[in-house]
Amino acid sequence: MPAPLERHAAPAGLRFAARLRLRAAILAGDAAALGSRLAGKGSGASIRGQVMTRIDPLAFRKLVKGRRIAAVSGTNGKTTSTHLLAAAVRAGVRDADRVVTNADGANLHYGIASALAKAPAADLAVLETDERVVKDLITHGAPEVLVFLNFSRDQLDRHHEIKALAQAWREALGDAGTSGPVIVANADDPLVVWASGTAHEVVWVAAETLWSADSALCPACGTVLTRTGGAGADASHWDCPGCDLTEPEAPWRVVGGRIVDPAGTAWDPELRVPGRFNVNNAACALAAAAVWGVPVETALRGMRTVEAPAGRFATATFGTTTARLILAKNPAGWAEALPLLETDPVVLAIDSVAADGKDVSWLWDVEYEQLAGRRVIATGPRAHDLAVRLTYAGVEHTVVPEPGEALAGHTAPVDVIATYTPFQKLLKMAGLR
Amino acid sequence: MSAPVEIVLVYQSLLGIYGDRGNAAVLVKRLQWRGIEAALRIVEPGQEVPATGSVYLLGGGEDAAQVSAVSALKADGNLFRALDRGAVLFAVCAGYQICGRTFTIGERDEVIDGLGLLDVTTRRGPERAVGEILTRWARPDGSQSLITGFENHGGFTTVGPDAAPLATVEVGVGNGDGSEGAVQDNVIGTYPHGPVLARNPDLADHLLERALGHGLDPLPLPELDTLRAQRFAHVRGRR
Ligand SMILES: [Zn+2]
Repeated sequence: MPAPLERHAAPAGLRFAARLRLRAAILAGDAAALGSRLAGKGSGASIRGQVMTRIDPLAFRKLVKGRRIAAVSGTNGKTTSTHLLAAAVRAGVRDADRVVTNADGANLHYGIASALAKAPAADLAVLETDERVVKDLITHGAPEVLVFLNFSRDQLDRHHEIKALAQAWREALGDAGTSGPVIVANADDPLVVWASGTAHEVVWVAAETLWSADSALCPACGTVLTRTGGAGADASHWDCPGCDLTEPEAPWRVVGGRIVDPAGTAWDPELRVPGRFNVNNAACALAAAAVWGVPVETALRGMRTVEAPAGRFATATFGTTTARLILAKNPAGWAEALPLLETDPVVLAIDSVAADGKDVSWLWDVEYEQLAGRRVIATGPRAHDLAVRLTYAGVEHTVVPEPGEALAGHTAPVDVIATYTPFQKLLKMAGLR
Repeated sequence: MSAPVEIVLVYQSLLGIYGDRGNAAVLVKRLQWRGIEAALRIVEPGQEVPATGSVYLLGGGEDAAQVSAVSALKADGNLFRALDRGAVLFAVCAGYQICGRTFTIGERDEVIDGLGLLDVTTRRGPERAVGEILTRWARPDGSQSLITGFENHGGFTTVGPDAAPLATVEVGVGNGDGSEGAVQDNVIGTYPHGPVLARNPDLADHLLERALGHGLDPLPLPELDTLRAQRFAHVRGRR
């Protein structure tokens, strides 16, 4: 049953000494964040959290207590989905200041603590949560709603951790029992379905997904999964012949770019963020908002105000060049991003520091062949790896290692897809963060 | 007109999670660029492995995928028949491990019988090997070629008397004892991804020449020379 968004009587009280220490930690964190901003080192969200946690190691736990929390996790689409859900919730309450969210995408303990510290009076928190922080958030924050978007391979050099993470989620949900969150989860993703298997209540969403290459085997028993219908097709369905894990029936569905709610009404989302994967993200956000009692129409009204969440899909200017910036962090992200490209040439920026994944073998899991006939400008520290990949894919290209140069002097708009690090650098270069 | 040379990518969805499918794309293109007709065959679990391939490829994957692949390949049998008639098998990482006599999976190091195509055994190493790797490969003609790639494996491999190491490690871990990979008859196993044949054209052409039974014309690719020079400098600079 949807719980209406009434204000809790009072945030759960902390003892005086605990409150005092948290207060000191927040003041020190504010000072550090200000210093970081003045030094031009970004928003300071992470440094604020670090300093706070040094002074009060329990800051994260104290700050998540006493709020009503909706959290969003998964490999791809967390930031955009969090923005969509926060906008939906804001539309559903009279006073938008009641809602706090970590809008900048800082989604580890520090980033979450930092966002919460800045809004002590907000009683509703919509939190983007890194996959590695989900367990702690369930244990200490008692979220009411938790959205699991997908669980695809992120960085190749970290892949062996994914199943262990899903196992950790299972344990945390099992331990939380009926006081645990209502899960809103993507029924298309076998690992998400398995990870959600210990939750007391799950609202399934059937998305339209282009990527299924990461889930050949049953996460429960190791049997090869069977799939009917084509990948991404509305009719596609997966099942494990070895155990009872199977694609659940979903009350929320995405069909042909429209979102069908449990009553059977099809909604045209009319989002300002592009791409079919964002319709999937919106469907999950709508289902989560509904758990908090926000009607679809109201939620959509809020979601339609979301334009460039944390710079994703932002239009930026570099000298005379107008560029649209698209982030793709892994093969699943690239599969969804490449069809969005509208310009000729396009700029693709590749790096391989820790945040991008140190192993760029994934370039060969992306179907760059679909760019044939278009000119690609390969840029970033690993531009030559991309160049070799494009040569084998038969795609015309040039290599301009420096992103600033790659973006200079275009007379028509260019679309840019970048991995995490060059994406952040481009936002900064354009003055967007 | 002879039939196209078949490059067979075996169980891509099980053993292909580290971009190793690129090895197949590279082999096909290097044949086609030389005017040799080539076809890529992708075989998924549940489908019969074609017996007519010239080069068979296995890639990296997780523990459960290794077990599934071994039992499916043994039940199918066509890979063994193809190797008997002279086809080449090139196996990377988890694919390399399953070609051996035994390997281990899981936290409790359960010992699993491999395909027995390489005289190697794999056991869990002291720590996971993750990072760029550079090795020296002694080619059959006596010359040396550098192999660059990215390794990511928990198993360390011991090469027995019936096989020989493929290369010597300059930077990285490889088999764990200073050697890297293994060769036995027409089976080659190695740890690096990259994918390794994309970064190492000499190795790619060696596989093709061995499978075809004749030499191939050189194929200059300046971009690839630049990439190799970058990777050598990077990995040596970090030592
Ligand atoms: Zn199963």
